[in-house]
Amino acid sequence: MEEIVRQQKIKIAHKRKIQSKTLPFIGKLGIALILLIEIYPIIWIILSSFKSTQEFNMTPSYSLPTAIHLENYVTAWKAGKMNIFFTNSAINTLVSLIFILAFSTMASFALTKMKWKGRDLVLKIFLSGIMIPTVIVLIPLFTVYKNVGLLNTRTALIISYVAFGLSLSIYLLSTYLKYIPDDLIEAAVIDGANIYQVFLEIILPLLKTGIVTVLVIQFFFKWNDLMFSMTFVSKTELKTIQTGLLYFSDMYGNRNWGAIFASIGISVMPTLLLYGCLNKMVIEGMTSGAVKG
Amino acid sequence: MEKVLGDKKAIALFIVPPLLLFIGVVFIPIIWSIVYSLYSGMPGVKFDFVGLSNYTKMMQDKTFWQAFWMNMRYVGIVTSGQILFGLLMAMIFQFAIKKYKVFVRTIVFFPVVLPSVAVAQLFSKMFEITPSYGLINALLEVMGLTELIQPWLGQGGTAFGVLCIMDIWTAIGFYAVIIYGALVDIPGEVIEAAQIDGANSFQLFRRILIPLLKPILTTCFIFSLSGTLKMFESATALTKGGPGVATRSLSMFMYNTSFTYSEYGYGSTVAVFILIECLVATCLVGLISKKLKGDV
Amino acid sequence: MKSKLLMGALSLALCTSLLGGCGSGKGTASEPTQKAAEAPKETAKEAEKPAGEKKTIKFLSIWPEDKDNSKLILELTEEYKKENPNFDMEFEYIAPDDLVSKIKVLLASDDLPDVFAYESGEPLAELIDAGAVVDMEAALQDLGIADCVDEGAKSLLKTLVDGRGLYDLPLGLNIEGMWYNKALFEKAGIAEAPKTWDELEAACDKLMAAGIQPIAGGGKDKWPLTRLLNAYIMRSIGVDAMLEVKQGKRKMTDPEFVKAAEVIQNMVKKGYFGQGVTTVDQGTAVSMVLNGQAAMHYNGSWVTENLNSADNAAGPEGIGYFNIPTVAGGPGKLDEYSMNCGNILTFSSKKYDAATADWVKYVFTRMGDKAITDYGAFKGFKINNMPSSLTYYTNIVADNLKAAKGSSLWFEGRFDAKTSKIAQDYVQTLFNGEITPEEYMTAIQDSLDGK
Repeated sequence: MEEIVRQQKIKIAHKRKIQSKTLPFIGKLGIALILLIEIYPIIWIILSSFKSTQEFNMTPSYSLPTAIHLENYVTAWKAGKMNIFFTNSAINTLVSLIFILAFSTMASFALTKMKWKGRDLVLKIFLSGIMIPTVIVLIPLFTVYKNVGLLNTRTALIISYVAFGLSLSIYLLSTYLKYIPDDLIEAAVIDGANIYQVFLEIILPLLKTGIVTVLVIQFFFKWNDLMFSMTFVSKTELKTIQTGLLYFSDMYGNRNWGAIFASIGISVMPTLLLYGCLNKMVIEGMTSGAVKG
Repeated sequence: MEKVLGDKKAIALFIVPPLLLFIGVVFIPIIWSIVYSLYSGMPGVKFDFVGLSNYTKMMQDKTFWQAFWMNMRYVGIVTSGQILFGLLMAMIFQFAIKKYKVFVRTIVFFPVVLPSVAVAQLFSKMFEITPSYGLINALLEVMGLTELIQPWLGQGGTAFGVLCIMDIWTAIGFYAVIIYGALVDIPGEVIEAAQIDGANSFQLFRRILIPLLKPILTTCFIFSLSGTLKMFESATALTKGGPGVATRSLSMFMYNTSFTYSEYGYGSTVAVFILIECLVATCLVGLISKKLKGDV
Repeated sequence: MKSKLLMGALSLALCTSLLGGCGSGKGTASEPTQKAAEAPKETAKEAEKPAGEKKTIKFLSIWPEDKDNSKLILELTEEYKKENPNFDMEFEYIAPDDLVSKIKVLLASDDLPDVFAYESGEPLAELIDAGAVVDMEAALQDLGIADCVDEGAKSLLKTLVDGRGLYDLPLGLNIEGMWYNKALFEKAGIAEAPKTWDELEAACDKLMAAGIQPIAGGGKDKWPLTRLLNAYIMRSIGVDAMLEVKQGKRKMTDPEFVKAAEVIQNMVKKGYFGQGVTTVDQGTAVSMVLNGQAAMHYNGSWVTENLNSADNAAGPEGIGYFNIPTVAGGPGKLDEYSMNCGNILTFSSKKYDAATADWVKYVFTRMGDKAITDYGAFKGFKINNMPSSLTYYTNIVADNLKAAKGSSLWFEGRFDAKTSKIAQDYVQTLFNGEITPEEYMTAIQDSLDGK
């Protein structure tokens, strides 16, 4: 009897092997299709950035550009002031990231590993921020910034970015932290480490992938911010990339499509580059088993 | 140990700066907005205290409910789409792709990093009909399906559809990567054991994978809901809320009310509503996931 | 021990930079902070000192620096700066869609720019009532240049704010009508520009028979479509139709108005507007006519900037113009035009002082001439030296401006912000057939009634 069952199981396993051999073929086709859907639009953006505006109106949108109109990039960089906006976005984002990382690592460590009264309450306060629609705070924040003289400064943007980036970052890091065993900390304390050493030498290295994840996610959010930079900053020299993308639509609706796509290309390149370089770490970070909620 | 972990100075150092910043920049403006919702008019121009009457006004406002239902439909379609396709994609990563794993994952993640203005311009051009056919209409023409060629963004129903597709497309990569992370963690032996026990793919999926993925799926739902309930930039960039009000979300309605109509008090009321909506959604998701955890 | 110091130092640095308010911003950030704090004090002092002390005014514009009105103003300001080296201007560009909300945020915190572009009508009326903007009529009188603004423009602007007075300066003096591609008309066998609405529809039929899209409409931007409604209403009901609605003498739900919506909706149904009119933005619609992809297009005379430019594929005389055709049985006449002043320029009353006034005097006495010479455009200012030869297109505008005997504002010109938005939002559904003409007019009337 057992022999029959065993034989059956081997047959099933065999069948499974065959099945998993045919899957790749159909799978490959499906995957090719998926890749096409995911990446075609991006290729299209790059191709379009080389077209002239006439081409946009006259030729079908999937056609290749007749010539490489690099002047679109020049127009975007100079007339569209991409050089200024790019620098601003870069500075704002980088500085915000430093603060977000510092604050959120410290805070989530204190909120998960340290023991004190009110810990849960503070955690809830931070997490509630995930749900806040940013539109709601525009006028109050604007008034506050105006009254302390921070309007039209880089600082106003950075403060806003950091504050709004805390909730999600703390949430992510806290979930990572939950999986770091307390014994590790105990062992370190027994060895004579103080709390700062525990934080810097034990926790932070273990949080590496979590930190990278937070870095990448917050980079995307801050790089693509439109609402805050539009409301709090009016000096052209301080504006960011997203505002620059609006430069090519004028009052009566005329649009310089070539330059718009070139601007998009310029704006997208850093994020793609960053992602390309760090993506392995990000994937590892997200797959290291820590993000289990 | 307790001493080290209870070190008050350290705690203060770690918590106070971010907490102060958060309360000052996020919390206080929210309280401010809640206070505003008890007023009517526009600060700086004409601002009168009206108590809770904004709330009763909102409950009876047809346009509010219209925006609310549009938002609900959007949330239903987009959140389920993002997570479903994310899950599907994650499964494909795990089970169907042997080579080039990292390459595929990188590509699928690309749309996530694009700014919403850019994606909207992209989709506008893709679904174009005049002066020349965009990608979609051109494809339909080539395939001979000319009856299906239409002004996708010019009609209420289809414009809403394009918006949903756009927002699902943008986010699939994000959820795929997160869910894949959790999938990878499921020990291979568990799956093999189930297969040897005679489970077919469907049972494998339902009885083994889903329960093990529940925590990560809950996280995904919360992320997704926090985005879809507050949706603003993507629809504004794509259709400005049109045609008519077919793609006007609740946040857009709030923005219009506050800034275009200068009814900042009433607009704050809508904002408070959105806030409550999000909190309720979070609690619901939390409750459901706890309950389901109990069943497993 | 080292770690503790490190941690302490790090946190201290973070805290102080946050509180200090300028640690993280490189260089430039700290200056603006101080300037922003000093500026209010400066202007207060300015009011007492004569113009000539250091003065920076802020100009918020919806045209990029090197285009259109921004270019005109900035170039004139450069000239002014040569004679007044202590004067400086800070320029900010904002997308037109974001203008109103940005100004409202600024208004709420009492920080309007010195001079900014804005929309006349209800939005401006709101600012006037809040005492936020300068009475330009009085200001111009004080400067002795009361006549620098064209009379026609002046009365238009005053009408727009229900007679509250002149609180702004025009940035255009525009007539609206149909601009058509002459070559395409010829191809379809249309000998003369239509004068009556029936002739217009007949022309459309001829164009369709010749395989040409008759009209290009900028439906994506919404406002070009309501102008078409207004066009029919002006002729079928009268030049004061919308004014009478505002005064309560007529209702949008009256059969004449519903008929207008019906006529336009039928034109869309017959295919005169091509496919997907609500997906095309106005800029694309203009190019379609210039490139010969569509025959006609309704627009204002600001389009002459496109027509005069070298990019115009139809050439220096390839585009013709005709005023809105008359409707059989309607009182409208061909010498009545839909006119407007485009977006207007207005001034923060809080920040207006002698230095600003001096700048105003220099720039706006020269604006009319510069606009016509550089762009062939009419901006609503007095022109002292009309160039001896104008382009074909500018002549069209000049001739029609002279011929105008009556004028009407645009469709939403007298609506409050909410009704205006409803009229624009729903015109798209009117055009794509998702709502009936009655439903459209009812939605507008309900909003006017405050429902």
